Amino acid sequence: MSTKAILRTEKLVKTYVTGTVETPALRGVTFELHRGEFTAIAGPSGSGKSTLLHLLGGLDRPTSGEIYLDGTALSTMPRNALSRLRLEKIGFVFQAYNLIPVLTVLENAAFILDLQGVARTERIERGRRVLAELGIEKYADQFPNRISGGEQQRVAVARAVVSEPAIVIADEPTANLDTAMSVELIDLMRRLNSERSATFLFATHDGRLLDRVNRLVTLVDGRIAADEIRNSL
Amino acid sequence: MKQAWRHLWRSRRRSILTLLAVFIPVLILVLDIGMLNGEQQGLFKNTVNFETGHLQIRSATETTAGGALPLMKDPAAALAALDSVPGIAWRTARLDLPAMISRGGRSQGILLQGVLPEEVGRVSPIGRLVSEGAYLTTGGNGVVIGGELRDLLSASVGDEVVLLGAHPDTGIGAASAPVVGVFTAPEPSMGRTLVQVDLGLAQTLARRPGAVTSIVAFVEGVTGPRDAEKVGAVVAELRARLPKDYRVLDYNELAPELVTFQNVVKPIHILFMGIFFILGGLVVLNTLFLAVVERTHELGVILAVGASRRRVMRMVMMEALLISLVGAGVGAAAAFGLVVWAQAVGGVRLPAAYDEVVRVMGMEPIMQLRVSALELALSGLAMVGVALLAAWIPARRAASLEPVEAMRHVN
Repeated sequence: MSTKAILRTEKLVKTYVTGTVETPALRGVTFELHRGEFTAIAGPSGSGKSTLLHLLGGLDRPTSGEIYLDGTALSTMPRNALSRLRLEKIGFVFQAYNLIPVLTVLENAAFILDLQGVARTERIERGRRVLAELGIEKYADQFPNRISGGEQQRVAVARAVVSEPAIVIADEPTANLDTAMSVELIDLMRRLNSERSATFLFATHDGRLLDRVNRLVTLVDGRIAADEIRNSL
Repeated sequence: MKQAWRHLWRSRRRSILTLLAVFIPVLILVLDIGMLNGEQQGLFKNTVNFETGHLQIRSATETTAGGALPLMKDPAAALAALDSVPGIAWRTARLDLPAMISRGGRSQGILLQGVLPEEVGRVSPIGRLVSEGAYLTTGGNGVVIGGELRDLLSASVGDEVVLLGAHPDTGIGAASAPVVGVFTAPEPSMGRTLVQVDLGLAQTLARRPGAVTSIVAFVEGVTGPRDAEKVGAVVAELRARLPKDYRVLDYNELAPELVTFQNVVKPIHILFMGIFFILGGLVVLNTLFLAVVERTHELGVILAVGASRRRVMRMVMMEALLISLVGAGVGAAAAFGLVVWAQAVGGVRLPAAYDEVVRVMGMEPIMQLRVSALELALSGLAMVGVALLAAWIPARRAASLEPVEAMRHVN
């Protein structure tokens, strides 16, 4: 595992304002994520996990503080540039799969490549390759509503890793899956992490997933309460 | 594009509604244009055949008192000029004379047209509209009158009428002549006031042998108002060749009501169609807006994974483009089918209740539809343009979504 920080935050603060009511979600989070890490952010509901992931994924902007992805500061980046950065450097896996229903499994898997402007032949080839890697190539021409939740989440993982992004951010990826499917998915992501050196960052409550990460960051009330390295894996 | 196409199939009911919102205005627009063209064509045909020809050569002298046309000094020179210009299909001399017709104690002011029956019969529909008796014969002494005038004078074929011609240059001439034919005029005022006689008889009434007020000419290849350029070219050529003693006038100058008709009717049609297009556009806007609202979550995901706002906007616009192209294409094709059908059956007969109204306007109670390929294409493209304009609002909304908020959206 490389020790180079792919993602770094400095005193990250996020406060939601509704009318005159201010709700702090993050109260100064500073941490680094290194290339090839398989890291989970855990914590009770309302601890700021999702908020932190949104900020790290460039989906939202901090109230103060800074995020550096591959050395690039995100907080002042123009909206379009931020979209481009997400497209090129970040893969997303969402709790509810969030596949595009009118695209086939293969088209969903290759969707990011399509957005990146990769030629069709190459998209198909790379899409099929990643589907094969994740064991779902046989569903390539199916639409998402014809496959199970676990398979849909694999497609979501395929979509997240197909372009070999700098980091894959997954928000509760196993929350909607039963135990067997969760274990399969975790193994799959772990394999991608070790074989491709893909960097994974999760927000999760799932103990099965927490057992498999090599670093666990615990958030409580918008602050890092613990940052535990688990090198046993 | 594939994605946009599948989205359309995903919400079929909404897509059908959007399709209809494009289809109906295009269908109506093409039929409206077809009717407008048909009306114009009918008016053009009536005007040039009954009254003006495509062009006329007249004396340059100002119109004399009472609206009488000045007599031409040298009709032969005008005829020679016409014969030297390429593109003239046919021409004839005519003497238009303000006159009075009377029988018994009844009389009526008329426009007496002295024509050469063997020449004018080739284009003037009056010969074909004679419903009682027969048309004029060359050198004959007969009179052809309209049905309305017949009723006014209580005259029948064979009855003698008295004609009193009056021209400021020559004075008053009178003659008695039998009614040889009665024609059914396309409009009542024409049936009351237009009387045709042989040119010789008209010259007698004008008290000047050889007198002519107009040389009426038709230009080759002119079938409707769209061929105005061909007429214009011949008119320009004649103006260059003829001395200043002559005036060359095209049918628009001779019958300004043709232009007036266009000026009055067209804006009404444009307004009418504008309303349809706006309504169509609003339906497109509404349905696409609903589609965007329903897909807020999905659009949020697409934006989250890195799609540019331009790309999202293009997705919505692509859907609008596809559906409007299909709707406009089907609308234009359906309208074209109706136009072809209407032409094949010789026009659509209007209900009898409209007979008098359309006759007053100088038209037949048969609706003719005429539409060109260009008009067909432009009608479709105009609605596609309106649909795209309407789609711009939901597309912009889709593109302006914030990914995190959009992904929280639940339908």
